[in-house]
Amino acid sequence: MLKYGYGGRVLRIDLTERRFRIEPLDSSWIRPVIGGRAANTKRLFEELNPDCDPLGPDNILIFGIGPLTGSLLPASAYYTITAKSPLTGILGDSAAGGQFGAEMKLTGFDQIIITGKADNLLYLLVTESGVEFVDCPEYRGKTIIETTTAIRKEKKDHAIQVAAIGPAGENLVLFSSIVSSGNRVNGRAGMGAVMGSKNLKALAVRGTLSLGVADPLAFLSEVKKIEKAILGHNEYQKRYKMGTTMLMKDLNNIGILPTKHFQEGVCKYVDEISGQKLAKSYKVKNKACFNCHLACSRYYMVDDHEAEGPEFETLCSFTSRLGSRDLPFALEMNAYLNKMGMDSISTSEVIGWIIECQEKGLIHPDDLDGLSITWGETDKIREVVDMITWRRGIGDKLANGAKKLSEGFSEEARKLVMHVKGLDMICGDPRGIKAYGLTYAIASRGSDHLRAEPYFELTNKKEEAKKRFGTEKAADRLAEEGKAALVAYSEKIALLTDSLTMCKNIGLCMDILNFENTSALLKAGTGIDYSPEYLKKIMGDGIDRDFKLNRRFGTKKEDDTLPERFQKEPLSEGPTKGSTVDIKRMVDEYYRIHKWEG
Amino acid sequence: MIRVDISKCTGCKRCETACSFFRSGRINNHISRIKAINLYDIGIDGVVVCNQCKERYCDCCPKNAITIGSLGQVVISQTLCTLCGVCEKACPIGAIEIFNDFVYVCDLCGGRPRCIEACKEGAITHEVDEAYHPSLAAFKKDTKKMNPSQKQYFYLKKLGLEERKKWRKNRA
Repeated sequence: MLKYGYGGRVLRIDLTERRFRIEPLDSSWIRPVIGGRAANTKRLFEELNPDCDPLGPDNILIFGIGPLTGSLLPASAYYTITAKSPLTGILGDSAAGGQFGAEMKLTGFDQIIITGKADNLLYLLVTESGVEFVDCPEYRGKTIIETTTAIRKEKKDHAIQVAAIGPAGENLVLFSSIVSSGNRVNGRAGMGAVMGSKNLKALAVRGTLSLGVADPLAFLSEVKKIEKAILGHNEYQKRYKMGTTMLMKDLNNIGILPTKHFQEGVCKYVDEISGQKLAKSYKVKNKACFNCHLACSRYYMVDDHEAEGPEFETLCSFTSRLGSRDLPFALEMNAYLNKMGMDSISTSEVIGWIIECQEKGLIHPDDLDGLSITWGETDKIREVVDMITWRRGIGDKLANGAKKLSEGFSEEARKLVMHVKGLDMICGDPRGIKAYGLTYAIASRGSDHLRAEPYFELTNKKEEAKKRFGTEKAADRLAEEGKAALVAYSEKIALLTDSLTMCKNIGLCMDILNFENTSALLKAGTGIDYSPEYLKKIMGDGIDRDFKLNRRFGTKKEDDTLPERFQKEPLSEGPTKGSTVDIKRMVDEYYRIHKWEG
Repeated sequence: MIRVDISKCTGCKRCETACSFFRSGRINNHISRIKAINLYDIGIDGVVVCNQCKERYCDCCPKNAITIGSLGQVVISQTLCTLCGVCEKACPIGAIEIFNDFVYVCDLCGGRPRCIEACKEGAITHEVDEAYHPSLAAFKKDTKKMNPSQKQYFYLKKLGLEERKKWRKNRA
């Protein structure tokens, strides 16, 4: 019987029949996965028909939280949404912070599993006693915040938390997102389109149960240690001021800031678009996720636009990556994409790919309904983004993502899509961060850094690298050596962080969580014994499960690679000049560590 | 009393979490005596907690279950209380709430409020001037027919709209 930490219940919702069922969460089922992302993947592994249409009623959309979500643990805000991705056709999931996960915890449901398809646009209000199905055809076309505010007003409760889709999700843009807490985005892999395909505008949660831990005093003492470690971290002030946007200059300084669609790694005008500039000129205050005292998010105002964010990925995606030096434009795009519910990385990739291909003469405007666009052409970019959101004109094709769009073009053009397994690449040139390169290649949802976030390779801690990963090179960003071992370690901590749940930017990037303190937190939080060795083992099992699930979707070892550019074309200037990635070597070594067959 | 500066609030709810954990050993915003609300429509976050208002609107209990303590705090006698809801209705900003047969209102933790320790932004502080009691008369009429959540929202929205006027100016 699960008494502490967990709500101990699973909620199953069938939208076709408009019915729900409450099941107990079996402790022997949950123990080997803890919760969150690992539990979601296990559910998908056990219940999803791998051949199902990702946008059909059989796809399973899962909202999952972990035993420590919404607890006294700092930044225990995260929740993960999992389904088969319509963008990539493989495992899709995306996590976000904010307040949604903590409120979901108070409903007593650790997982909400949604299947079927409603006959009319509706939203769901989940409370302790179950689900209310509320038809809302009048919400069609509403933005995220409009939807959130409308639900709160209708239900006369302003503590309700809402995860909603915007027009992009309704229009089944394959890289549309789900957004909660106004601006906290489950951005990747098209979870918004899955929700849209089910005619589900929003999932609202409001809890009345209270969360207890097994040993409050022991838990408090572990939490105090972690709070101290965060406050004492050498990057605390920097992160407080700029959040992830600090990476604009940090990445540029080592020559890996994607510029003009990864053609360059140094952006000459970085000072005009940096996190420093943003903090100085447009930020109005700090924002935080649930129970976080780092408060790395920011609220900004610029001209007629305001929103929370942007995070580094969005900032880079709409500045240097598209050859633009217009910071206010990027802030406008961040507000627009969060409002409409669309992933900034994939949106930027489809535009960046077209610009590069047109520059190289591989795509003619006639091929794209007369669309002609070049670097930094912000008015045109704005128009294209709008067309994608509403699937208007050529936007209808672009809304399927860069990889699918490229299928109608030459091989040379197809090679220029910066993706792995159909998921568009994040901002961070792998030629100068090799462990990240390996992470993009092997990540189970496609090109992504968050599956391992091997931040350690940038720390230059040589002695520790030797001790932990067998070679000093693990802390040398330009080396391939030791990176498979580093990634194999980091991916376990990443999965652990996602399963507890906690923010990875803190738990992992700031090197706060490890198997030992997590073991103590879990014991005090849930009353269940988790030895550090057992945690290592079950996280390893979790990585194996991702791998096996993707094999069912048809992935092969050859798919674990990087776009040709990063393997063959060295960067022409800056501190990463001359470097390319020997991805095969790292992937082989990584497979050996996991004892995986090709 | 606890003074709130919403310009510094990040919306993290650490105050709410600390309040319910240290008072009840569990976490839930319903049993917290300080309420953090995120007003996504205007980008404002803020908290609602007993202001120890000049008017003392809640001090109208038909069973005399409410008294004012030496720190100016509202003290509820749970034995005299019949859960009639008069005090909850009377508070213009939703700082008193009845949940699961119990009345929740800030009593300053007997002098050492745990929410203040939890807030790293200095958005909530302990007002030392014991004679300071703000007036809530401006809200009384507007929030008359609202439930506590609606009152909290109305109150914070009014403060928030004022706060927003300063945003661009402060930056410049």
